[in-house]
Amino acid sequence: MIQYQIPRNSLVWLLVAQAAVILPHISRIPWWITLVCLACGLWRVMIYQGRWAYPGRWVKVMFVVCGIAGIPLGYQKIYGVEPAVALLIVAFVLKLLEMKDKRDAGIVVLLAYFVALTEFLFLQTIPATLYMLFAVIMITAGLVGLNQTRSHHNPLLTLKTALVLVGQSIPLMLILFVLFPRISPLWSVPLQTEFGRTGVTNSMSPGDISRLTQSDGLAFKATFKADVPKYSALYWRGLVLSEFDGTTWTQDKLLGRDAWRFNEEAPDWASDVEYRGGSVEYEIMLEPTQQNWLFALAMPELPKIADVVMLHDFRLASRSPVRQRLRYDLKSNLNYSLERELSSFWRYRYTRIPDKGNERARALAQERFRNSSTPRSYVRETLQMYGLEDFTYTLKPPLLGKDGIDAFLFESRRGFCEHFAGSFVFLMRAAGVPARVVLGYHGGEYNPTGKFVSVRQFDAHAWAEVWIEGEGWIRFDPTSAVAPERIERGLEAAVESENSFLEDSPLSLLKYRELLWLTDLRLQIDALGHYWDTWVVGYTPETQVGLLEQYIGKVDRKKLGSIMLAAFFTVLGVVGLFILSRRTYRPMSAMDKTYLRFCLAASRIGVERRVGEGANDFADRLSEKFPELKVEILMVTQLFIEAEYKGRADPSLVREIKKAVRTFRRKSLTAL
Amino acid sequence: MGAKSTRRDSVTTSNAFWRSNGFQKWLSRRLPPSNTVNLNQKNIFILPTRQGVYFALLIFFMVLAGVNYQNSLIYGLAFLLSSLFMVSILHTFRNLSGLTLSAGKSDMVFAGEDAEFEVILSRNGRRTYEAIVLGWDADSMANADLLEKREVTVKLFVKTKTRGVLNPGRLMVQTVYPVGLFRAWSWVDLDARTLVFPRPVDGGAVPAAESMGDEGDMPQKQGVEDFHGLREFEPGDSPRHISWKTYARTDELQVKEFSGFVDRRIWLDWDYFAGMDRESRLSRLCFWVLQASKTSDEYGLRLPGFERSPANSAAHRLQLLKDLAVFESETGLMSGTEAKTR
Repeated sequence: MIQYQIPRNSLVWLLVAQAAVILPHISRIPWWITLVCLACGLWRVMIYQGRWAYPGRWVKVMFVVCGIAGIPLGYQKIYGVEPAVALLIVAFVLKLLEMKDKRDAGIVVLLAYFVALTEFLFLQTIPATLYMLFAVIMITAGLVGLNQTRSHHNPLLTLKTALVLVGQSIPLMLILFVLFPRISPLWSVPLQTEFGRTGVTNSMSPGDISRLTQSDGLAFKATFKADVPKYSALYWRGLVLSEFDGTTWTQDKLLGRDAWRFNEEAPDWASDVEYRGGSVEYEIMLEPTQQNWLFALAMPELPKIADVVMLHDFRLASRSPVRQRLRYDLKSNLNYSLERELSSFWRYRYTRIPDKGNERARALAQERFRNSSTPRSYVRETLQMYGLEDFTYTLKPPLLGKDGIDAFLFESRRGFCEHFAGSFVFLMRAAGVPARVVLGYHGGEYNPTGKFVSVRQFDAHAWAEVWIEGEGWIRFDPTSAVAPERIERGLEAAVESENSFLEDSPLSLLKYRELLWLTDLRLQIDALGHYWDTWVVGYTPETQVGLLEQYIGKVDRKKLGSIMLAAFFTVLGVVGLFILSRRTYRPMSAMDKTYLRFCLAASRIGVERRVGEGANDFADRLSEKFPELKVEILMVTQLFIEAEYKGRADPSLVREIKKAVRTFRRKSLTAL
Repeated sequence: MGAKSTRRDSVTTSNAFWRSNGFQKWLSRRLPPSNTVNLNQKNIFILPTRQGVYFALLIFFMVLAGVNYQNSLIYGLAFLLSSLFMVSILHTFRNLSGLTLSAGKSDMVFAGEDAEFEVILSRNGRRTYEAIVLGWDADSMANADLLEKREVTVKLFVKTKTRGVLNPGRLMVQTVYPVGLFRAWSWVDLDARTLVFPRPVDGGAVPAAESMGDEGDMPQKQGVEDFHGLREFEPGDSPRHISWKTYARTDELQVKEFSGFVDRRIWLDWDYFAGMDRESRLSRLCFWVLQASKTSDEYGLRLPGFERSPANSAAHRLQLLKDLAVFESETGLMSGTEAKTR
């Protein structure tokens, strides 16, 4: 018995699909798995060409052992999404190499579909989705090729069939997508861990934020219900840092302990905030940070979301690290007063600085405080100092050694927001004024199409909050004193003269804001991505219920299910009618076309071919009228009949009939 | 019923239900024997294949992943494949419906050989068909495409074991195209028939010729008036018939042929094989028919209660083989299943 060979049309597409589904994973899998994939693909091609044999049992055992043992070595862990995906990929390529009969190939196809799925665990953008759609079409082409007879030699026609199949499935998929009742997770699953995420960290030392500003990665998007507040008011509070060790600012552990959940009784400190209007409502779509904190305009009200809590310093946090894109609705009051009373305990904690170091700054603070009438005027004068003296706002601050604050204030005087905020809070505390550093983002780009504000990593910012007797915590931003354009127009404007904006990412579209059409295009793409994230990626049970209630009233799961089935089978019926009534239009063969040209030429000289008239009868009639053309007429007719009966015309026959028709036409013109 | 099930080809034919008498009766009501059968929703069955069942399992796991990761795009992929699954039912059905099958010619064979039947697949309109699998015997299914051509003729083989009229029964015609997730099939009875001759078994030398009718001993009866002509001498010819005159003149040995010798008649008689059973006798008679037809002798056949007078022609040979095939045949109309599953 002849050994079964996977049909060529199938193998071609399975190999292409293998490459297509693995390609996006390459940056995430150990390099040697990529190598194994390439080797298996190559070996498979060699088997098809009959040059190599199937791998022997020991080779296979070796592959499997290496694959299974190598994955924990490559990832330093065995539990998690990445090792599982890597294992799946290894299994997939080994099965591809080993497949011998149709059943093996069927399993390879199923594995390929599953590998395609894993990409969505990591990336859910429009391009990634379109890419995977094409991969799915190619896998389907592999499946179609498997069921075709061997007379098919053109893999592109196989792809076309797959394209038709997937194309007809899409309307049905949309119905299922919108109407299939979404349910909450059945059990908890490991989520992907960090992969190159940047963002605000939970501490601040000089250089941290200026490094972050090299990234144009999205931090979050905010969609306002009404008008967007003015640019300078967009202070997105993230972290409050109030411990200082001489170089680094960190969080006060005590502040993080008190958490207020919306469904619990408010703690006693909850009444320390007084909302005074200027309220804005907005939704934030936060990109994964792998951290707990959330961003909000000052001062947010506690949202009614189970996982979101408010901490004692009136910032929001999530109870579990944000590992997937998180959406939350917020209401903030731009006018507020916070903690008008501060206990001596907290007053002590907010004025702590190391006993030693930065002596010049300490001395300066004490001297200036003595000379000012009130703490309020001390604050104002200190801010003025930044503006009046020759401080420079730069993305390339020099490295500062020990006693960084002294070095910054009295020597280099070149710094980024963290230098200004850090030194400012230090000067406050050294004078006994309670102060703290706030870390977050400032500003963002408004997208007029999508009506949302995109906040990117380069919008990261640090500023200060100072507690003033009788007024509570007031925001002061020393950066605004040095570089007001940073607060009015953003980072790019602030460092314009330096040309250091996104210096390390020459290809970032954000660098070319002066090209208006490009900016316009980028904003449109961003808006599209936002709709995608909101309505497709973010199509959660809540979104579903919200959308459906808008159109079909109150829905429960049972009703939803029956609506879905009804819609599904209606559309399936329509697709079915289309499939079953559809005639397969094949392009006319070259033979038929040429013969039709012949008939057309004959009609021009007055002999029309009758409906249903056979080629021979027509030839007889024609040659009776034009005996001088008889040779050509018979030739064309004979060639046509021969080709018709052979079923498929070979090219030489087509060439001949074409030549004969040409001669006939030429002569027929002279015959008239 | 025609198709024998194999592990490879079908999930369904191995099922006892499909073989049950009730189902067969229902089937013959629904799909009566006919020389030409057009496949449509009345006679096409469709069920998932093994691959289809695995595919459904894959979708289940995908939905599970979508639920647990709350990942809309995983949901989307699972839904796309579910839709593909459903759409493929329609495509697979489409790939069989509207197809016309008709019985073509079939050749008569000797028992033990493969009987060849031609089945003509044709399409009307512009719908094309791909990867149609058909056959009576699961071991030798044939593939056919109907793309450019309007009709194709498929040669199918059926194993034979015993003589008689062979009706191979219901023809299995199926397809899993385009994605192999569903199998659409039909059992059509094309009323195809052929005759199976007994298997020839060497029965020794063909009996010697005997005289015509009751005219007695041939050589003594010869006369000049019966002289027919000359022919070349062959070993075994009686020296009395050598034409010596011719030999003297031409140096060639020639024998005189008399009309009495031309009309040699052989009777292939049932009674030569006394003591054997019927089939063994028929097999040996069949062998003799084949041997005798190679000579110029006229040969006749004698069976109990039946006699076919001697002659010598291709048509006569065929007639005798047919006589042997149907003589006391158990069914007269032996069905294919019985012929094969013996």
